[in-house]
Amino acid sequence: MVDTRQFAIEPNKDLLGVDGTLQQNSVLNNRYRISGVVGVGGMGSVYQARDLQFPDVERYVAVKEMLNLSQNRDMREQMKGNFEREANILASLSHPAIPAIYDYFTIKDRAYLVMEYINGKNLEVILSQLDETLPIDMVLGWAIELCDVLDYLHNRPTPIIFRDMKPSNIMIDVNGRLRLIDFGIARVFQQNKKMTMIGTEGYSAPEQYKGSPMPQSDIYALGATLHQVFTNEDPRLHAPFTFADRPIREYNPNVPPMLEAVIMKALAYDPLQRYATAREMKEALETVRRAMQGSVTAAISLGEVPSEAVEEWGSEQTSSKSQLRWKFKVEDEIRSGAAHHEGTLFVGARDHNLWAIYADSGELRWKFATEAPIVTNPDIYREGPTVLIGSDDHHLYSVDIPTGRLHWKLQTKGPVRSSPSVIHGHVFFGSDDGYLYAARMSTGRAAWRYAVEAPIRSQPVVLEDMVIVAAESGDVVALDLSGQFKWRFSAKRTVISTPAIHDGIAYFGSYDYHLYAVDIKNGWSIWRFRAGKPIISSPVVVPEEEIVVFGCADGYIYAVDLFNNRERWKFQTDNQVVASPAYENGNIYIGSVDQNIYCIDAQKGRELWRFQTEGPVTAKPFILDGVMYIGSLDHNLYAIKA
Amino acid sequence: MDWFRRFLGLQPTDNEEATESAVQPAKPIATDAPTQPNPIGKKENLAPSMETLPKRPRDLPPSELDTDEADMIAADGRTRKLPPLETVQPEVGHQLVYGQLSDVGQMRDNNQDAVLSFVSSASLSQAAPNFGLFVVADGMGGHENGERASAIATRVIAKHVIDEIFIPSLSGEIGSSADRPTITEVLREAVQQANHVVSEQVPDGGTTVTTAAIIGHAAYLAHVGDSRAYLITDEFIEQITRDHSLVQRLIELDQLTPEDAVEHPQRNVLYRALGQNDHLDVDPVFRQLPPGAFLLICSDGLWNLVKREEIQQIVLEERDTPQQACQRLVEMANDRGGTDNITVIIVRVPN
Ligand SMILES: Nc1ncnc2c1ncn2[C@@H]1O[C@H](COP(=O)(O)OP(=O)(O)OP(=O)(O)O)[C@@H](O)[C@H]1O
Ligand SMILES: [Mg+2]
Repeated sequence: MVDTRQFAIEPNKDLLGVDGTLQQNSVLNNRYRISGVVGVGGMGSVYQARDLQFPDVERYVAVKEMLNLSQNRDMREQMKGNFEREANILASLSHPAIPAIYDYFTIKDRAYLVMEYINGKNLEVILSQLDETLPIDMVLGWAIELCDVLDYLHNRPTPIIFRDMKPSNIMIDVNGRLRLIDFGIARVFQQNKKMTMIGTEGYSAPEQYKGSPMPQSDIYALGATLHQVFTNEDPRLHAPFTFADRPIREYNPNVPPMLEAVIMKALAYDPLQRYATAREMKEALETVRRAMQGSVTAAISLGEVPSEAVEEWGSEQTSSKSQLRWKFKVEDEIRSGAAHHEGTLFVGARDHNLWAIYADSGELRWKFATEAPIVTNPDIYREGPTVLIGSDDHHLYSVDIPTGRLHWKLQTKGPVRSSPSVIHGHVFFGSDDGYLYAARMSTGRAAWRYAVEAPIRSQPVVLEDMVIVAAESGDVVALDLSGQFKWRFSAKRTVISTPAIHDGIAYFGSYDYHLYAVDIKNGWSIWRFRAGKPIISSPVVVPEEEIVVFGCADGYIYAVDLFNNRERWKFQTDNQVVASPAYENGNIYIGSVDQNIYCIDAQKGRELWRFQTEGPVTAKPFILDGVMYIGSLDHNLYAIKA
Repeated sequence: MDWFRRFLGLQPTDNEEATESAVQPAKPIATDAPTQPNPIGKKENLAPSMETLPKRPRDLPPSELDTDEADMIAADGRTRKLPPLETVQPEVGHQLVYGQLSDVGQMRDNNQDAVLSFVSSASLSQAAPNFGLFVVADGMGGHENGERASAIATRVIAKHVIDEIFIPSLSGEIGSSADRPTITEVLREAVQQANHVVSEQVPDGGTTVTTAAIIGHAAYLAHVGDSRAYLITDEFIEQITRDHSLVQRLIELDQLTPEDAVEHPQRNVLYRALGQNDHLDVDPVFRQLPPGAFLLICSDGLWNLVKREEIQQIVLEERDTPQQACQRLVEMANDRGGTDNITVIIVRVPN
């Protein structure tokens, strides 16, 4: 067979298309007749060509073309030398997942590498055409094969680091066989770019950017590739090294936790935390495969679990660090928090009583009966001294602390479920009758009241020059201390959460799932953060960490950054969190409907310990001198070493 | 901050309330508190269309009044100072002042940076808000793509923020309801809108954006890329934006020291910029600025060549003339090679 359009020495301009690619049917190096372009790479095209050396069989090859763009003659020669050296190394490789190299040559400013033609698609293309996720066992097979080929490369007499593991460099042929292409030979022709660029490799390990790739860098990139295959999230579109922010099982719950664990271990920032060798990772994957096939039911051995997970397991074991000092049983549920005055604790209960209990011994000092359940926190009027508490019997009570007798009571037209705030010689509280009241402590008579026009269940927050209160309507209203309206902010739904004030901002949650940050000067909303369910919990600000922490009915405790309103951490409990957190000495203390009281590290959101009660916990902890006092719906008030 | 309290019919804080007493209902409680003068002409100046009164005036049946309590009005327990009668008085350091400069540098032949400042200073008038909007954008891309991308982004952002915050505040529409986006959200929307327009109109270009709206002493920022915002006071200089660059991520992961980053071959690689992707993650930043503090926004042409201590020093030395500070900073960067376009805005918030 004679091809009349042979060109023996160099590609003639006529044979190049307008875009500089070789035209169909042009013959390269007297031997390879181009049948089409199969891929476009960074430095040139990849063609399919027929090898004319074998006229009787239709043997196709892939021809990878690379442009040597260097202007400088010496430079160009040097690059050509590098190319030939690399091509020789490639030609010496022999592995079922590496395409065979047949030939290489240079024509003018172009270098060519001739290799086995793979009839298939690269994995990037496959992923982009996919509507559903790939079968897990199939991907697992590829992952094992990729480990095997990395193991082969890393163990050459002169170890080869692949450096460019990513979906577009993996081809799957029509028989489902996998091949690793693109051994980065094109890199020898690349020139340094100095301009500001957008986009990173996305798959490269952190140490690779320091210019020190090692075998573990390939393991990281393989982890990145597998992460993308299972999540279909392209790492180049995300901030670098943020795979952990996109948990695989959140995208694809069918992935077994063991497999996720293997991938996340491969993705550890620190190369020493990854698998030491590709072989080790391969073995871990094989264990996963056996477990999936059911032939091995034993749990994966600890050594194959990423260190992060181990730490998490460890923290649960430390759970009983807390220490019960005493507990005091009342006659019904305790839903609200405690207050303290000179060695005595005060707490209201659904048994209608306000209980006064000695803080050190847990013994009863006195109890004061109201006519209905109590669900509010007490507050102390030190000058009395009296303790103030609201009751469902429509009254706010001021009870003399020394005697436990009534000082005065003030009637409203609805249950009082808003905890009182005592300040400036006055007490501020709301009622289900829709009013915010300000009463003089000395007489118990209302100085003024303000119609918020919806039941008030939050505690009024009293500042130097204003009082802020939230209502069932979703309105948060600010008044000056004489009861004059200042501003109103309207959430979409009920606000029960008592605002936390820090640096001129009020933070509060709403039934509309949002935590709001509102400027207390004018009521403008600065930002809001959306949680998964209503927020009943009153937030607490942790200035040291610049976060605001609160619980949510979705079962999580959230920490949100004050400055950028992003989630800093969240901590999952086993049921709704309607209780409010307390902050003390770097720790968050908070109860959950799951019956536990948690102590969580405010910085990281990790559990330090938990204490289990026998009922849901909705009260805010009260912490004094290293002891936490908190009631539970199990009727007990607990004193626990904090 | 005073203007919008007036516009919203809200009460002033602290001891200024006398100036507003004309719009308050008479105090229902008998009191021996100082009688509060009605400043002349104040009432008429209030924009009539605004909600000058609470929607739901309080209702206080006389029977429930604690009329024997004379000291109630000073509920905070302090004696209130008599407020000044003259309320319209210009004061040094009472306004937002700013300087702005953008320079091509020594090595480039075009300036791909864009910069915009919009200030409405209102401490002397009730007709305009005390509001500032500042944008720095550093464009990238060949031909004219870089400067087109940064210019378009800047225009789109300014229009959106002015439309959604400044204009509504003038007509009293902005307010306090979850039905409206928060101020932080408006800024983010502005940058996202700019992202779409840049993608559409300059497919081969991209740009960074750092933008700040300053309302009173509160700064609301939206940020993408490696332009920066610094908060500067006498005591400290703090970078309040986070570079979306590869080297910054490596530093955060302890894989690179800040010193090595200066030399890193990929120090110019950004992982986030406008014009790259339909979906754009925008960093919000909110800060209360201390009185008299400075906010400085700049492109990497400045911070690559001028150390942050030097920036702080110059800003403080020229504290009354931020424009002069901009000049000196740009000169310093140019003296050190001016390898890139240099853009800087310095804003001083009121005392
Ligand atoms: N042997 C082959 N057989 C069939 N198609 C191939 C073969 N090699 C490459 N291709 C196709 O060409 C595309 C580009 O190839 P390759 O990754 O080798 O070059 P590149 O991307 O330019 O290299 P680099 O990533 O170093 O810039 C591949 O994604 C694949 O679709
Ligand atoms: Mg490739």
